[in-house]
Amino acid sequence: MEKMNQTIQKTPVFRVLTDQQIEKIYYSALEVLERCGANVFQDEAIELFKNSDAVVRENRVRVPVSLVERALKTYPNKITLKGRNGKRSVALQKDHVYFGTGSDLPFTYDRETGERRRTLYKDIVNAARFVDYLPNYDFFMSHGIVGDAPNPLTYDRHQFMAMLEGCTKPMVVTSVDGEGLEDLWKMACLFQGGEEEFRLNPMFVAYIEPISPLTNDRTAVEKLLFAAEKGIPAMYTPCPSSGATAPATIPGMLVQSLAETLLAVVLCYLKKPGMPLIMGGVTTVMDMRTTTYSYGSPELSLASAANTDISKWLGLLMFSTGGCTDSKTVDEQAAAESTLSVLNAFLSGANLVHDVGYIDSGVNASLESLVMNEEIIGMVRQIGKGINTDPEYLALQLIDEAGPGGEYVTKDHTYEHWREWYFPKLQDRSDWETWCNNGKKTMLDRVKEETHRILDEYEPEPIDDGIRKELKKIIDDAEKRHSK
Amino acid sequence: MAEDLGKIAESLIAGKVEDVDKMTKESLDAGVSAEEVLNKGLIAGMDVVGQRFKAGDMFIPEVLRSAKAMSAGMEHLRPALAESDTKQAGTLVIGTVEGDLHDIGKNLVGMMFEGAGFKVVNLGIDLKPQVFVDAVKEHKPQLLGMSALLTTTMPKMGETINALKEAGVRDQVKIMVGGAPVTEEYAKEIGADLYGANAASSVDKGKAALGL
Ligand code: B12
Repeated sequence: MEKMNQTIQKTPVFRVLTDQQIEKIYYSALEVLERCGANVFQDEAIELFKNSDAVVRENRVRVPVSLVERALKTYPNKITLKGRNGKRSVALQKDHVYFGTGSDLPFTYDRETGERRRTLYKDIVNAARFVDYLPNYDFFMSHGIVGDAPNPLTYDRHQFMAMLEGCTKPMVVTSVDGEGLEDLWKMACLFQGGEEEFRLNPMFVAYIEPISPLTNDRTAVEKLLFAAEKGIPAMYTPCPSSGATAPATIPGMLVQSLAETLLAVVLCYLKKPGMPLIMGGVTTVMDMRTTTYSYGSPELSLASAANTDISKWLGLLMFSTGGCTDSKTVDEQAAAESTLSVLNAFLSGANLVHDVGYIDSGVNASLESLVMNEEIIGMVRQIGKGINTDPEYLALQLIDEAGPGGEYVTKDHTYEHWREWYFPKLQDRSDWETWCNNGKKTMLDRVKEETHRILDEYEPEPIDDGIRKELKKIIDDAEKRHSK
Repeated sequence: MAEDLGKIAESLIAGKVEDVDKMTKESLDAGVSAEEVLNKGLIAGMDVVGQRFKAGDMFIPEVLRSAKAMSAGMEHLRPALAESDTKQAGTLVIGTVEGDLHDIGKNLVGMMFEGAGFKVVNLGIDLKPQVFVDAVKEHKPQLLGMSALLTTTMPKMGETINALKEAGVRDQVKIMVGGAPVTEEYAKEIGADLYGANAASSVDKGKAALGL
């Protein structure tokens, strides 16, 4: 018989802020927007604010609480992304967690020379292939920035093309400006069956950032407004560094970045209520010995988890960070830092966890890091399965059957359930002799071998020739426009 | 008097901006030479700060406090030093190149140079080559610093150097470049004199290049 008044916890529950703490942060952010406000350097946005209840003095915009709260009610709680292969594989909704790469790394670890060099088009295609192949990755950001594109004002089109070449999964894209985003969107629409279909089945989310503290530059706002107009999912993700561009206290940084987010919440609402806006935040500290913007600090994990708690309370979807490191190379530090942030982001229930695979504090790209994180995410996802306490899992009958001194290896119950465990691919659990006979390989050795194997073997689903031609035309047109 | 200058050094190490400001002025008023105040007070203190920072006993927020104190003291000393022809750290003009909005790194470099006794003119971000040219003409700096955090804006540093050449002022300054995607080789390629990987090492390199 089932017991009365029972509560079952199917998965782990992890929170770093209570509702009351979130309220404090939220009320403080509202205060920031009324008292201090933010700078906005874009004409259309200034007009939109002027025609609203906001108070505008030159470029400084202050927003009353009522307007913020009206705007907050309009955002979707679910956004489903569809890859270029037609699979609606990423359904962003509360506490559903998806992992993906970061973007725009200027350098790439070169496995032939062992040195770092500029990232090239082919590196992005390769990263795309890896993300397409590795099952624990759900979405793709470019990982690197194309260093061999002809023009800095149109590099984003080539970058997106490289991403599409290698990967069929949904994406998060960066763009040069509003015009760049428009081209990427047109390119994506070719796969999705047009603009209207894109609205129901978006292939990507546009990555956009304010400048902390409380500044909104022209191109960022231009992109945001374009996304709002066309119904393109977008995130406006503050990247404050605690102690440099935000208060040195985590709550202070959270207040400021929430104010930055809420300004975008209002702006998008004024442009087009209900546009699919996603909350973001790469909230970390500036290392006070080196000045590095840290991608491996525990504060990154803690502040990000707090931000996710806030996003859920607000009813916004969350773009978060994990799987990255300050280490210059894939080593013990990289493994430790990546694991910490992947685990925390996962438990917090953030929706899109990006920057997986970043090494060297967001400057250097490494396929090896992607491969290692595949294992880390695998382990972490296992934790997320939680504990099932149904009779079948309590296994009373079985314990009775086996009895004192019995065994379980040959039991049907074992045969049926062991596959629910996590099965590592690259971690070694063998005995000493076997390990020696297999060449005393370290985790990194195995990661490298797997990287080479995937590089050599994996072929993604190709792009249809007809679509390829049209993609090329959009890129060529952009080049022409900008060659003058 | 030497005792008083020791106190200036101590206050500077402790990051007491107002005290250093006041004591520097008092020492000058009491007739101590600017050169002595500089060397036995401010620089003596800053040397310790530098050593402690390198040893990992002092950190950026503390170092920048000391730098601010140094800068406050220098305000008083500069006119007298100029008169007495004492060798002193000169002027650094620094800014982020066109199309680039990253500014923390550049600001930190500026503050650290202030700590080394430089007068620092921070031009801001997203600056056209002409702005650098004009600033070089106006401020006649010994050092010009350019920051770029994007591969897409790095070429603007080269363009700026060309603009300085065209304006005939290239050889009046040592040019120093930095930012996450910038490398030593890239700096050479575009004809810059120095590359700085971080704020602290940039100051060392800058001083060495000026023979300070
Ligand atoms: C914070 C940040 C931002 C903030 C900047 C806020 C601000 N107020 O500055 C915001 C969010 C606005 C931002 C915007 C963008 N960013 Co950004 N950003 C960063 C990040 C994460 C940290 C930079 C930082 O502050 N570091 C801490 C400071 C203290 O260090 P630093 O700047 O490197 O400076 C030190 C040294 O480099 C050196 N130095 C620096 N300048 C100089 C100058 C001289 C003369 C000398 C001697 C030394 C020197 O000394 C400094 C102190 O030690 C970097 C990643 C990284 N690790 O660099 C990406 C990064 C630089 N950004 C990147 C990108 C892509 C962008 C965007 C294009 C994103 C987008 N698509 O919208 C926009 C561009 C906006 C623009 N037009 O400039 C890429 C660059 C890729 C590329 N093209 O090369 C990076 C590498 C991250 C990534 N992989 O995506 N960014």
